[in-house]
Amino acid sequence: MKILVAVDQNPYSANTTNVVAKLAANTWANVTILGVLPRRSPTGKVAAISEEWNMEHPLPKALLEYQERFLRHFRKDECPYTQRDFGYQLIEVKKGVWDELYVAKSARKDLKVRIRLGNPVKEILAEAQEEEMDLIVIGCDHSRGCEWKGGGGVPQKVVNEATCSVLVTKEEKKVDKIVCCLDHDLVSQQSLEMINQMVTLHKAKLEIIGLTEGEELKAEVERKMDAILRYYTARGLEPWIEIVELASLDAFISQEARWGLMALWMGKRSMLEKVFPKAKVSKLIKGSEYSVLILR
Amino acid sequence: MIRALILVNDRLASSIALRYACRLANVSGMDLQTIYIEEPEHEDRPPGTGWVKSTWEKGLLVSAGTEISQLIDEEKPTCPTLRKPKMCVGDREAEILREIDEGSYDLFIEGSLYSFNQTNFMKKFGTKLYREVSCPILVVKNMVDIKQAVILIEDTTDLWSLIPQFFKIFEKANLKFDILHVKLQKPGRLSFKEGDKGTKAPEVKEADDITISAKKMLAEAGLSPQKTRMIREVPARIADSLKEYGLVVACLPRQTDRKNSMLELLSGVPSAVLVLWQED
Repeated sequence: MKILVAVDQNPYSANTTNVVAKLAANTWANVTILGVLPRRSPTGKVAAISEEWNMEHPLPKALLEYQERFLRHFRKDECPYTQRDFGYQLIEVKKGVWDELYVAKSARKDLKVRIRLGNPVKEILAEAQEEEMDLIVIGCDHSRGCEWKGGGGVPQKVVNEATCSVLVTKEEKKVDKIVCCLDHDLVSQQSLEMINQMVTLHKAKLEIIGLTEGEELKAEVERKMDAILRYYTARGLEPWIEIVELASLDAFISQEARWGLMALWMGKRSMLEKVFPKAKVSKLIKGSEYSVLILR
Repeated sequence: MIRALILVNDRLASSIALRYACRLANVSGMDLQTIYIEEPEHEDRPPGTGWVKSTWEKGLLVSAGTEISQLIDEEKPTCPTLRKPKMCVGDREAEILREIDEGSYDLFIEGSLYSFNQTNFMKKFGTKLYREVSCPILVVKNMVDIKQAVILIEDTTDLWSLIPQFFKIFEKANLKFDILHVKLQKPGRLSFKEGDKGTKAPEVKEADDITISAKKMLAEAGLSPQKTRMIREVPARIADSLKEYGLVVACLPRQTDRKNSMLELLSGVPSAVLVLWQED
């Protein structure tokens, strides 16, 4: 798995790093911590980072701090993100011949820290696309309607425009329940595993919500829910199943968003893309006290 | 041994009900007979009678038979008392009622997915099947662990209907259960608001007279509840508080309509509901 953590220099980003560290500890994902600086410096000139900004700028400092914070979640001897084994070792260079060579085994997993210049939303999405990220994790200030301090609706725009899954994290709260909504049968193995990890991380209960247009689920959605139920049961989880009519979805989400992490399986075949247009997704992200996971 | 009839088909609700029933059978030593009913489309009328009709029916059952048998075979290893399905063609309710009567079953089990809109559950109680069935019905909504059950009683519950029916099914079961006396309130000005963080927990008190009577009757039958309590709340809130129970047991009159508060409570229970019948 490849995770992109989009951060700025504010406290909600520090919380996001904690969440990703816990997720990475379970998944051993490759992680990139990305900060975005505007192209124009505080003096109004367009300049390269080396000319106008330096390591005293709050963002680079924050990124290094987040990196340290991330690594603190791992024991030194177990951390997959640190370099291993520097030193001379006897290595068999050909059959029957050993040479003493200097060996520096690389980390098993990548932890990159990166800065890009430009518009935050565009650069986050570009990074996700170029590096083929599976998940973008982004925090926000819940007290300001899930915003970044600089404004601009960054979390909502990333959620709406990203082609991969996006987790919007709020303040660190205990999650008792994870509610996953789907109305189609294109659910990737990876997304199932992501939910599994979230459940394990939070020791939360899992609810799978089947969305219907009428009284009954579509046959293919039922089959997929049966498969999902069996998948999680085999892993020791026993999710609850609940059916919700699309007409009642707003009311349902308002009720559930207060009690746990909300995950929505979106996608081209999903009615959620139509019933839950960008404005509603933004509303959900703003309104929910807990994290929201958009699965694609 | 208790004989239960379980309705199976290719739907998710049926799959959940089957797996739940197997767990219940392992706890209570129940014999599980499965039944599949193919309901012909309205325009498909049986051509003639006798072997012609029989051949037509067999044709309808061919494709379903393989799928249903596979479903049963998957559960068989963990559910030794599970029997091969009886395959029928006809009106679903009529066939079930006929089979229950002819087979003298002690329990009928079916699945019904838990729904945010609780109308579907309530509608069942207006059907011919629910009005005429001669045995209790277990409606399974979710695949849950059956570690703990709860028996719900109201002021109007006829303990002489409830206790013997409960005893018949669970006499030899290794099942822990509580008794909960519910005093159902109508939502009103003094009720809690949904999602209100300041809401206080439902009022729960220790046992009162009816629960003590129920406990005594159960003791005479050799059964003993773990806890007995009384709760005064609106149905939705009580239903929400019953999530820890893998099975909720209640007694309902045959002619139950949607205005019945206990029915409203049961429709909000997300696990499984065992309906015992209170004869008039």
